[in-house]
Amino acid sequence: MISNRHHGEPNAQRMGSIGRNVVQFRLPMLPPSDGVEWNAKVNDEEVSIIIESNAILLDVLRDRVGSLGTKRGCDMGTCGCCSVLINGEPRLSCLTLAVDTEQADITTVEGLADGHHLHPIQQTFAECGGSQCGFCTPGFLVVISALLSENSKPNDQEIKQAIEGNLCRCTGFQQIVDSVKAASDILVSGQAVSDSTLSKSDPHPGFGGD
Amino acid sequence: MSEKEDAPKEIVGYRQQPGKLPFSRPGSGGKGKFSESTDQEMIPESQGGKLAQEWGPHRHDELISGRVVGKSTALVDSSWKVTGQAHYGDDVRLPGELIGRIVRSPHHYARVLSIDCTKALELPGVVAVATGDDAKNRFGVLPVTKDEHAMAVEKVRHAGDLVACVAAIDEATAREAERLIQVEYELIDPIHDMREGLEDSGEPIHDRGDYHIGESNVQKRVFQEFGDVEGMIENSVASHKKNWIFAGVNHAFTEPHAVVAHWDPTGRLTLYTPQQVPHYVHRALADVLEIPMHQINVHRTFVGGGFGGKSDPFPHEMCAAILARKSGKPVRITFDREEVYWVNRGRHPSRIEMNLHADDEGRICGIETDALIDGGAFASFGHVTTYYNGVLHTAPYEIGAFHYTGARVWTNKPASGAMRGHGAVNSRCAVEVGLDDLAEKLSVDPISLRLANLLPPHSATITGFRVTSIGMRECLERVREESGWNKKFRKLPLGKGIGIGCGFFISGSGLPIHWDPNKFPHATVHLKIDMDGGVTIHTGAADIGQGSDTVVAQSVAEVLGLPLDMIRVKSRDSDTSPVDLGSYSSRVTFMNANAAISAAMQIREELLDATVEITGAERSGLIIGDRRIFLKKDPAVGVSYLEALHKSQEDRGALVASGAYRTPPMGKMHKGAAAGLAPAYSFSAYVTEVSVDVETGQIKVDKVWAAHDCGKALNPLAVKGQIIGSCHMGMGQVLSEEMRYGRSGNLMNPDLLDYKIPSIHEMPEVIPIIVESNDPEGPFGAKEAGEGPLLPILPSVCNAVYDAIGIRTSELPMSPEKVHKMIEKRCREEEVSDPNNLPSPSLQHSSLQGVLENRAKEHRIRDKDRRLDEGRSDYHNGALFGLDPTIPPDEVDPRWSVRVTPEEEYLKSPRLAGSAWKHTERRHAEGQK
Repeated sequence: MISNRHHGEPNAQRMGSIGRNVVQFRLPMLPPSDGVEWNAKVNDEEVSIIIESNAILLDVLRDRVGSLGTKRGCDMGTCGCCSVLINGEPRLSCLTLAVDTEQADITTVEGLADGHHLHPIQQTFAECGGSQCGFCTPGFLVVISALLSENSKPNDQEIKQAIEGNLCRCTGFQQIVDSVKAASDILVSGQAVSDSTLSKSDPHPGFGGD
Repeated sequence: MSEKEDAPKEIVGYRQQPGKLPFSRPGSGGKGKFSESTDQEMIPESQGGKLAQEWGPHRHDELISGRVVGKSTALVDSSWKVTGQAHYGDDVRLPGELIGRIVRSPHHYARVLSIDCTKALELPGVVAVATGDDAKNRFGVLPVTKDEHAMAVEKVRHAGDLVACVAAIDEATAREAERLIQVEYELIDPIHDMREGLEDSGEPIHDRGDYHIGESNVQKRVFQEFGDVEGMIENSVASHKKNWIFAGVNHAFTEPHAVVAHWDPTGRLTLYTPQQVPHYVHRALADVLEIPMHQINVHRTFVGGGFGGKSDPFPHEMCAAILARKSGKPVRITFDREEVYWVNRGRHPSRIEMNLHADDEGRICGIETDALIDGGAFASFGHVTTYYNGVLHTAPYEIGAFHYTGARVWTNKPASGAMRGHGAVNSRCAVEVGLDDLAEKLSVDPISLRLANLLPPHSATITGFRVTSIGMRECLERVREESGWNKKFRKLPLGKGIGIGCGFFISGSGLPIHWDPNKFPHATVHLKIDMDGGVTIHTGAADIGQGSDTVVAQSVAEVLGLPLDMIRVKSRDSDTSPVDLGSYSSRVTFMNANAAISAAMQIREELLDATVEITGAERSGLIIGDRRIFLKKDPAVGVSYLEALHKSQEDRGALVASGAYRTPPMGKMHKGAAAGLAPAYSFSAYVTEVSVDVETGQIKVDKVWAAHDCGKALNPLAVKGQIIGSCHMGMGQVLSEEMRYGRSGNLMNPDLLDYKIPSIHEMPEVIPIIVESNDPEGPFGAKEAGEGPLLPILPSVCNAVYDAIGIRTSELPMSPEKVHKMIEKRCREEEVSDPNNLPSPSLQHSSLQGVLENRAKEHRIRDKDRRLDEGRSDYHNGALFGLDPTIPPDEVDPRWSVRVTPEEEYLKSPRLAGSAWKHTERRHAEGQK
């Protein structure tokens, strides 16, 4: 199945004639592109697939690699929801040609946790209210994980600069900053985040009365 | 204790029933063998605990087990979100799916003459196309104004309106096919200016037959007069008058709309959609597809932000279902960001005239509001919005008169609809800025002016709304104190300012949108507990990120004394969820948690009965603690939760319970009396500090002290998140957000680059202050916290800007260029050449200040008495003006009678929106002929 040809067609062309009282004019579609081999490491797993030479990384990740955690918010680099790490650097996957990431090491939100041990920022995002609707969360998390791996004790200004490319409409950012600080505390203290599959509360406890 | 832990085989505290074989402890392997002792700090005073109750006891006090209510709690679905495993609309991938695309109108207004799909269907990979002919039935969120079609039938009404749709094997093919569908249009003259909508038109955008208002584009008009309207001008010593223009704003949630439709082999439809209001989609689908509701399952996916923008049934949802039906395959439609703006449903662009009058005692003797709102091409929630622009500013102040004219018109723009703070935001901004101006004119402090004019708790507004708990006074006092108001107001240097703004909002709508079947509850919650002891909650409340799943789980956990990990919420499928009216009107916490409590109370009764049976203890002495039911005076006597549960499951298996909530009868009888009625109301007051660059007009909000009365913060973390998030959204509207339409009516900025929502660098420090007024009907005392907190930020910024540089805007957003122009104008008026030499506003209190302070002091005592006194007498708005508080004023004073249609005299010189009443409804016009 061929997919995602011509994803780059700008919206402006598609709706370009809106409102003008003339017959709609649209650019003809670009000719189909060639298939090329794409080899990359996504969340520590080798991926080797044939993609189209003009495929956008976001589409490849979502539709071919199965990283549905990488979100599509705007397709034009304005919202940051599609952020991933390419060789450790935060990048907007909606503005990245997949072929430009040949042989790259890519980390998406699915790759942050160590098995069932969450990354500290994942845990504190939940605990400190960094995530409300959660749609922008994956983008924030990968960007913040990059920040924390470089600088485990960032100050307010450093945090703000790191996440300035990410939009959140729910939280007003304040509890996101709180989450980063709490994650930083965990990292600095060296505590481990516990395994989420461990047994939780017993519905049938004994009497603990003293 | 350690001794017991060392003997794991012993089932501590478990009393073996005679005649029964011992069995191993079910569900063991837990971390804590012993339940935690009850934290007395969490138990209310009324139950002998240490939780202070300044606002008196509550009917739910005895249900408090001290577990989770009132504790900051991570959202129960947060693990899914932070691991990328939360599936939103576009993440639903079914095998064999097709991709749907929508053909949209390039014209503002046109007749569709023909649609030729031949070429598209010939394209390899195209499986199905559909047009308006495939679904002729109308739908819309309000039953009284169904004016939408899945795709254009006869006419397109705005650029971006749906004309046809296509499903193909992949996105590229679908986009190509979209291009190949040829549509022939005949253009009709569009209207873009809302003022034009008031006039007769050759071709109104919709035709409502006999009920059409003249030949105009007026969709809804409202006229309301309450109180002593004649007297308000006579009695006034100071008046404020301003004509406002508010730009339309969009919700700008991060997740673009997406939907997946699938008809299963049995012929049932499942629609996967990020919806705030799955139930109304359910109804609309049945109408449009002409199948019974029971043949449809609406599955709510995770919702990537709603704010009102995902609460209409949408045409693209119909399209997906139609394409999936035609093609026999699942169809997924995902919007480009641009398409989000074409369906819009954002806040109405509005023109509001706001006049306020104050008398010589500093009382607000009259509010006159005229609101013309631009509905765009469809009705959406607009019927309600038209009322809300008026009625939602009749509190928290006691007023002498209220005159409201409102009109909503259709224009050829994407439809406006409900957005956070529905209908109340713009007019509230106008009122609060007006009060600031009145205070200025009366030479009094604006907070003192407000404190001396508040309605007391348990009173009725001038429009007859029953208001119960009110924490307005506490909100004002807290922000005044914490912001250091008295040291700063009118005392900061030029360019630095501080301002106040208040808010009042409904906590759930008293009347549901759909009235049938009669007396159907607003919210229903089912509980099921099987032998494993975990509680499954079935609710239809849509968690849109606000945390409704969490609040329902918390409520049940609290009543049953269980940890949250034992509660699982199933709220996605209409097949398994009881009907809930959805996440709008800030109704979910109030109504759904009440329903959940009522269901949990039934289970609680069963558990208590079982405990009595096992232990023989006196029932009235039993309380529920952590996974344990025991005698309060002798905690050694009791059983574990599971033991009691298994006892009550004897001979019948799983326990099930159903709880429901319906609002009590309220309000008056006049036309429109139901709009704005709510079982409770929230209150808020914000103080905002700003810096204004006097040379460039750039405004920076530095700090916000945000006090909100949410009754009781069930989850303080979430309440704070809502307050801060509201500040963010309101700041966007006041400073930078605007749906910008060009001269020929084109939307200029349908993307997140040019539609400017505040980034982290624009966000000020927000100090959320939670005020808990303990609402008698709210679940554990709670009221809403999702929408109300947005209202005060707009006026508090406007008022702070005045304090900084002495200019009052009448247009939002206050972009730097607009502010710069106003500064230049003020420079000319003050005859200064350098804006840095402008005088900063100052204040010399008049003698009225003392009068207000004294009255506020008296009212403070009055309010405190009223909130605690169960035997309190009625209090109707009007008492401040010398009327008997116990009788509705319209019943004793003819001047205070309610009028809902204008008299001839008014129509001679109506205000802008009021001029909608110049038209006669067609049915009456024909009668006249």
